[in-house]
This record gives sequence, C-alpha cells and structure tokens, in this order.
Amino acid sequence: MKQPKAHLLQSIAVAVILIAVWEGACRVFDISPIVLPTPSSVLVRLYALFTTGMIWPHLWATLIEVLSGFVLGCVAGLVFGAMISLIPVFERLVYPYLVALQTLPKVAIAPLFIIWFGYGLTSKIVITALVCFFPVLVSVIAGFHSTDKDQLDMMKAFGATKWQTLTRLRIPSALVLIFAGLEIAAVLAVIGAIVGEFVGAQVGLGYLVVTLNFGMDVPGVFAVLIVLSAIGLAMHGLMRYAARRYIFWIRRSEAPVMT
Amino acid sequence: MMASLKVKREDSAHLAPVSGADIAKPAMIRIAGLEKRFKTRSGETVNALTSVDLDIRENEFISVVGPSGCGKTTLLRILAGLENASSGIVQCDGAQISGPRPDVGMVFQQATLLPWNTVLTNVLLPAHLKNDKSGLTVKRAEGLLAFMGLKDFAQKYPFELSGGMQQRVSICRALMREPRILLMDEPFGALDAMTRESMNMELMRVWSEERKTVIFITHSIPEAVLLGDRVVVMSPRPGRISEVIDVDVGRPRTLQTMATPRFGEICDHIRTIFGAQSLTATAL
Repeated sequence: MKQPKAHLLQSIAVAVILIAVWEGACRVFDISPIVLPTPSSVLVRLYALFTTGMIWPHLWATLIEVLSGFVLGCVAGLVFGAMISLIPVFERLVYPYLVALQTLPKVAIAPLFIIWFGYGLTSKIVITALVCFFPVLVSVIAGFHSTDKDQLDMMKAFGATKWQTLTRLRIPSALVLIFAGLEIAAVLAVIGAIVGEFVGAQVGLGYLVVTLNFGMDVPGVFAVLIVLSAIGLAMHGLMRYAARRYIFWIRRSEAPVMT
Repeated sequence: MMASLKVKREDSAHLAPVSGADIAKPAMIRIAGLEKRFKTRSGETVNALTSVDLDIRENEFISVVGPSGCGKTTLLRILAGLENASSGIVQCDGAQISGPRPDVGMVFQQATLLPWNTVLTNVLLPAHLKNDKSGLTVKRAEGLLAFMGLKDFAQKYPFELSGGMQQRVSICRALMREPRILLMDEPFGALDAMTRESMNMELMRVWSEERKTVIFITHSIPEAVLLGDRVVVMSPRPGRISEVIDVDVGRPRTLQTMATPRFGEICDHIRTIFGAQSLTATAL
C-alpha cells in the first residue's frame, strides 16, 4: 500500500512545482494578465464567480446538457449497438449510414442543430448525445465481438440456448468494452455541450467563456476552464466507479486505460 | 523389448482385457470410417481426420496422444457434438452424434469459467441452463466442490483462484449433471508440471469414485499412459490413428507407477512411433 501513496505525493509535488513556476514566471517577467494570468488571480476569480452567484445558472445549464446528452447518447448507442451486433440485417442496412454520419465533424453540423432545435438547451443536448453516441456504439459492437470462442463452445457443449448464451455469456463479456466506451463518452459529453454553447447559446459555461473572453477577463476564462475540467473529471470518475462495481472481475491492471 | 508389448492396431471388436472397462458389453461409442475435411480460406480442402476407427467401451479411460495438428481436438469436438463429421459413423449407444448431448461433460484446456460468477454458480451452470435450481442440485455442486478440496472457495470468484484450482472447478462443472461420458481436451496443458501431476492423481480419484467413460486428450506421453486404459496414438497430415495401445499396468496407479519398467516401456514405444513418424516426414 506504500507505493500508491508515494505516487500520489509525487503527483501532488509536480503540480505544486508547476503552479509555483507559473506564478513565479508571471511575476518575474511581468506577463500581462490578458496573455497569461497568475494562478493566484485565477483562484481569486474562481472564488468570486461562486460567491457572487454569477456562475450558478451557467453551471446548471451545462450540467443539464452534459448529463441528459450523455444519457440519451449512451442509451441510443447501447440500443443501436446491440441491434447491429445481434441482428445481421440491421448491420447490413443501418451500420454503413451510421459510419457515414460519424465521419461528419460534429462541430461543423452544430450550427444546423441550433437552427433545428433553437438556442435553448435542446440543441446542446442533441449535440452532446450525438458526440456520446459513437464511442458507445463502437464499444458495444466490439464488446459483442469479443466473446471468448472457448466459452462459446463451453456454453454450446452444455446445451445452452441462444438466449442463455446471450444473457449468461455474451452480454456480461461485452460489458468490459462497453464500460470503456462509456468512459470515453463521459469525457466527450462535456466537449459536446461546450461546442454547442460556443455556436449559439444564451446560458451555459461555454457561453460564459465566450462572454468573459470578449471582456478580456482571462483569469475568469481560466476559472471557468477549471470548473469544466472538474465536471469532466467527475463524470470520468463516476464511470470508473461504476466500472469497478459492475465489471469487478477485471483487475485494475487489466482495466482499459482511458483518458 | 518391443516384442513383449501387447500392441496392436484397433481393427476388431476382440480386445485385450483392460482394467476399467466392462468388456461384456458392446461398444458405447463407436467410430468407424470417420472423415473430417475443412475448407481453408483459400478454398483448399484439408483432411483433419481420415479413416478413424475406434470402439470405446463404457467406463473405459481412453487417452489420445499426438503432436499438434493430428486432429485429436477435432475428434473430441465431433464427439462433443460441437462439429459434424464429414462422413463416417460416430455413434453413442447406437445413435449418431449430431449435437451436444446431455450425458456428456466437457473440460477444456482453459478452465472457461465465467469470471462474473462465483465458483458455486459456475459449477451450477449446466443445471441452471436446464432451469434446475433445486436445493438438491446445490447440494450436489457443494458436494463436488468439497470432493475436489474446494469447499471453502464456493463463494469466491474464479480470478481469486490459481490455475489448478480453476481447472478443478471446471471438472466439477463437467461432472455436475452426472454425465456418462467425460471429454477432456488437454485439461492440464496450461498447468505447471507439479500441479499437473497432482491434478492427474485427482482425476484418478474422481474416476475411481464416479466411474465414467473418459476421453482424455493430451500431448504428454507419460500423462496419457498413467491415466489411460488404452492410449490412442495419432499422427498428423492427415490426422489418423497410428496405434492403439493397451496399458497393461494395474490400478490403482500412483506417481510411483511412472517409475516402473513396464510404464517406461510403453512410453518408449509411443516415442518410437512418433520418432518413426518424424523420420518419414523428413524422408518425404
């Protein structure tokens, strides 16, 4: 148990040193706060954003977009992934179009969604869902393909029906890769919501970044970025926790590493 | 030395008396003129098995030994009903084997336990697949685990067990529905030598308690001889039976049996068969 503790201390030490160098460099070279604000000024701004209550409506809006988009995208990814994996006709008819859709850069079609779904939360939720959809879809398909051949033989030798093989072997086997996909989607969800807000919004952390940037409040922009990465880390952590709970048989060292 | 061996090609129903089997009864499993051909991706036809004839009596322990590519696993898969023969007779109790049978238990080279289920649930799998969840069944599973020295591991997960223990669980699972036939495909191939020897002894103990017809595939000659009533020696390209050898070594056999001269003679003889094969291969 000593090893992880030592590693944690080292990581913290690196962070402290980096922030100290950043702070020192800004002061020694007298860098303009518009170019690079000092960490201390960012922290002060971050504190102010919360105490003045300015950030709350934006934070809520973004959280709603991220969470609903994530859930919608993941559910759609799971459903389509399962259908493509289990129904051959579906794979032939639908999968090529889904792949074609995936090749479209989401940022480029975001303005269309604003036109179709308006400036409100709906357009951002749709964009987020679309961004989350593909990693989940691909991981579900890969997951169903990853069933161990020997275990399939084993089920067959013991006289399992197709349905029993599906529920007792193929779905649990697929979970390992599905959770890897969910982890990626969790992080992408934040990006999706912010992209949507950049293109057109009246509220949200992405909208706040654009506004603060416009007002040359660079420490404010940094402060919002910290909040955004905190949301991303929390989403990722949540999925890691769920993965460890539901696919407990994969030891940590073997768990898919996703960033 | 060779002359003293009771070695003969299996071509008739007249067989030398061997220990485990009941010779009065007709063959339980009958394989005659079995052929198995595969089509490769490039469209070539490969003969995995060619003119395989073998009769197996009830409660007989048959070891199958041969180099990789000799079709021994294919033979077992056909007996398990996982694959169909291209032609020939593969019968059990006079009925052609065309799919998995309920009276067959199978043990694979990998333990193939379901990692998300506990040891007990894994052993119960064959019963659960038949929607049998009675208390009696659970009792039987627990009894099997206790018999295999795994009593305290029933609620553990497979990843908490060593390789040897996992394979023991998979043997319990194969025995769960009291099969008449046990098919084992190099079950101890992935284990280290020490574990392997103790597993051999374990298997002997199981077989003496719950008599079954066992078809045991291995690439270890001593293992084949130690366990088998008869050893089927196979050779590759195309996969076929070169010889069927009666192991006229008394039971119970222990690890000390491996030190007896008779045991050594039989092993040497099998090695000679393989040696002759590789010589022919070089000559060709």
